[in-house]
Amino acid sequence: MAEQISTPNLAQLPPEMLDFTLLKTTGALAPRLGRLSIPGRKTILTPVFLGNSSRGTIPHISQDNFRKSIGLNGLYMALEDFVEKHPQKTPPIFQLDAPDPLRQFNSIPNETLVVLGARRQPPIYSPIANTNTEVGLLTSVGYKSISSDYYAAAARKLHPDIVIGLADIPFGQESVGLKRKDKMSDRTEVWTRDIIAKRDGIDKGEPRYNIFAPILPIDRDLQSWYLEHLVDDMISKISGVAIYDAYLLDDLPEELHHLPRLSFHAPASPQEILRQVSLGMDIFTIPFVSDATDAGIALDFTFPAPTTTTSPTRQTLGVDMWQESHAISVTPLSASCTCYACTKHHRAYIQHLLAAKEMLGWVLIQIHNHAVLDAFFVGIRTSIANGTFDRDVAAFEAFYEPTLPEKTGRGPRVRGYQFQAEEHGKPEKKNPKAWKKDIEEKKLKGEKVKLMAAHGQQPNRKKEVQDVIDDEALIGLVDLQGVDVVELENIKIEDDKS
Amino acid sequence: MAPVPMPSALSFELLGKCSVTKARAANLQLPHGPVPLPIFMPVATQASLKGLTPEQLEETSCRLCLNNTYHLGLKPGQATLDAIGGAHKFQSWPHNILTDSGGFQMVSLLKLAKVTEEGVRFLSPHDGSPMLLTPEHSISLQNSIGSDIIMQLDDVIATTSPDLARMTEAMERSIRWLDRCIKAHKYPERQNLFCIIQGGLDLDLRRQCTAEMVARDTPGIAIGGLSGGEEKTSYCKVVDTCTGLLPENKPRYVMGVGYPEDLVVSVALGADMFDCVWPTRTARFGNAITARGVLNLRNAVYAEDFGPIEDGCQCTCCRSQEAGGLGITRAYIYHVTAKETAGAHLLTMHNVHYQLNLMKRAREAILEDRYPAFLKEFFATLHGDKKKYPEWAVTALKGVGVDLMVD
Ligand SMILES: [Zn+2]
Ligand SMILES: [Zn+2]
Repeated sequence: MAEQISTPNLAQLPPEMLDFTLLKTTGALAPRLGRLSIPGRKTILTPVFLGNSSRGTIPHISQDNFRKSIGLNGLYMALEDFVEKHPQKTPPIFQLDAPDPLRQFNSIPNETLVVLGARRQPPIYSPIANTNTEVGLLTSVGYKSISSDYYAAAARKLHPDIVIGLADIPFGQESVGLKRKDKMSDRTEVWTRDIIAKRDGIDKGEPRYNIFAPILPIDRDLQSWYLEHLVDDMISKISGVAIYDAYLLDDLPEELHHLPRLSFHAPASPQEILRQVSLGMDIFTIPFVSDATDAGIALDFTFPAPTTTTSPTRQTLGVDMWQESHAISVTPLSASCTCYACTKHHRAYIQHLLAAKEMLGWVLIQIHNHAVLDAFFVGIRTSIANGTFDRDVAAFEAFYEPTLPEKTGRGPRVRGYQFQAEEHGKPEKKNPKAWKKDIEEKKLKGEKVKLMAAHGQQPNRKKEVQDVIDDEALIGLVDLQGVDVVELENIKIEDDKS
Repeated sequence: MAPVPMPSALSFELLGKCSVTKARAANLQLPHGPVPLPIFMPVATQASLKGLTPEQLEETSCRLCLNNTYHLGLKPGQATLDAIGGAHKFQSWPHNILTDSGGFQMVSLLKLAKVTEEGVRFLSPHDGSPMLLTPEHSISLQNSIGSDIIMQLDDVIATTSPDLARMTEAMERSIRWLDRCIKAHKYPERQNLFCIIQGGLDLDLRRQCTAEMVARDTPGIAIGGLSGGEEKTSYCKVVDTCTGLLPENKPRYVMGVGYPEDLVVSVALGADMFDCVWPTRTARFGNAITARGVLNLRNAVYAEDFGPIEDGCQCTCCRSQEAGGLGITRAYIYHVTAKETAGAHLLTMHNVHYQLNLMKRAREAILEDRYPAFLKEFFATLHGDKKKYPEWAVTALKGVGVDLMVD
């Protein structure tokens, strides 16, 4: 890739100061190229995406694999992942006596840029309503609320590189009344002023963090006071903005245009990422990557799209690795991918791992999916640099299906705090005993029950029951109680030659 | 039946023997590289070790791991294994693999398995169809898997069974099945077939079985049917009796054994190879194996413990970041265990490393002829107070010349 990173003159900046340079822009609502640098961290070229962490790590990725197999320079972390002991006890991470507790506690490499927000991405609806002084969170042990003071103190103790200011957003609420919207704006302004004051109050010599101010997902008039004050009083104190509704980028005051923009408007597809990029978005967390991984879907798209014109149908954006058709495929997840999973393993193994419910299946798909996204963003940057972005987007939309494939397989067990508000019932686990009935019925009908040799059987011959075995089988979940033993002895042997 | 001399795909080099106990240190050269003995082999049941990539497993210093024939036979199945060219290719593992015969899994998992002279009859947990696993099928499957060490199909019954007649039948049948396995084995020049000594806790049966199996001259020898809930004292007697009758120039594998105490005592009794699912399974529940015992890191006392999982441990997790490790703390494991799968991956790495390193330290002690001192230090660190030492271990070690009660 013809990407050049010329290092800005960091020596002249205070130690933690963020530098964002726009390398290319073509107007207000247009894609842009930028370079974000913080001393001590790897320089990040935008548009880019951050790893979306859960409890200190990208789901399924242990910290050594993060270093070896995930090429990301930035990580998003949520305070709600660390404060379940609050308020009864001081959460452990705050007791860690280290110069850099957030990194140290979670074993994050020094060169990785860390962004801290209050909520996971996407946030799960918390029934604890925000108040004038507190926001509701969902921790792994339940709903909590924290004050703006607490948040600032946490940021000071943990010193991430970037802190997203608290926003008063009633997540999960279908419609929000006008009065409530006024309140959103008022509270968010108070909290933004508050964290700026707290950050500026940090003693000289103690590390400081950079603040991204939230831009609310409401019309400009409804947050006009807040936006005006951002521009008038706070502009020199903030280093970026966090955008909750990408389609309101039009409303962003011009005075804030030079700041990096982090999207908290979760895109559902690569096309939606492209749309946000085309409006001038710079930084993303992309929850659909892990969602696809959990569903066993290996992402399979490149930007710009391949230029083959032969196929009359649109290509799928991902490969459902649950499908048995992969069972003897020794091809990689994606032919052009150079990730660890694609260079070392093949589809047959990954399909097996999913079917066998082995955790490694999700590890490999997650590594691959991050590599696909990483390459996607490299492609976006090159395309903007070449001035072909709009054309490339049109070609991408024509080449690929508009949405990710439907999920068919069962994902790994989902913990309560990972549930998403919109997540409906998962496919039900088939009753493992169902096949016993089959056999009983066959016997009643006088049908012959064949005896198969233990070798030579086809893989996954019956989808409904393949779920029965997983590694729990080792501890005896596969029970055959209630099946008549005597029957077994009178069955003729017939090798399965198929 | 006249024993047929068997080709072997391994070489065994005895490097040293403890001058007091029966412990040995050796090099075992297998088709996919050398393996130091004594050794612990982690169990990658379904061709994957609890979420670790082959690279991560390699980093624990593992060069020989287990796959289970029963599981691989069901998934991905023999057709797939044949199409892909065996389990090494299937899981991208460049080092050695040992597979069991599938018989033990069947008998322990499927309560309704029924053993006849022909083989083990059972219902497929896939679809309930009746199946039969014969010695020939088992070897055919293991030939398809391509493992470096393959195990004979044996007639396994619980050692605690009081039925001497059934025990004798199982022992004798296991010998007959060994002959069938030897006959069915297609690739003796690249896969090493190990026999499995049966006979329950009856030492006479074990002696008879050992004599018969040694006569068949397989490349390696396993002692089976143990770790089924028998008393540890009886277990030690069986191991001691069998190793006493085994040739010195072959590896000896005690199946299904994996607690650290069992390992160091069994080494003293002359055994070389061990496998167990416990170290990796227990990691999922937040249990860390350390020289001072097993710690459940899900216990709230570890929530604020910012030390490594085990002080001084050189595994990838415990080693400090300055030393190229991750510097993972007990507090972080507490934070992440059972909430993100990465927690299990981290602890699995530590536990496997612990087991392998324990055997490495034992080997060094044997080579320097200080194994008795190693044993004393091991028990002192684990239990502190001598009164807490398990009686079975004290007795067993006394039998091979080490009195743990004397410093
Ligand atoms: Zn890949
Ligand atoms: Zn360790």
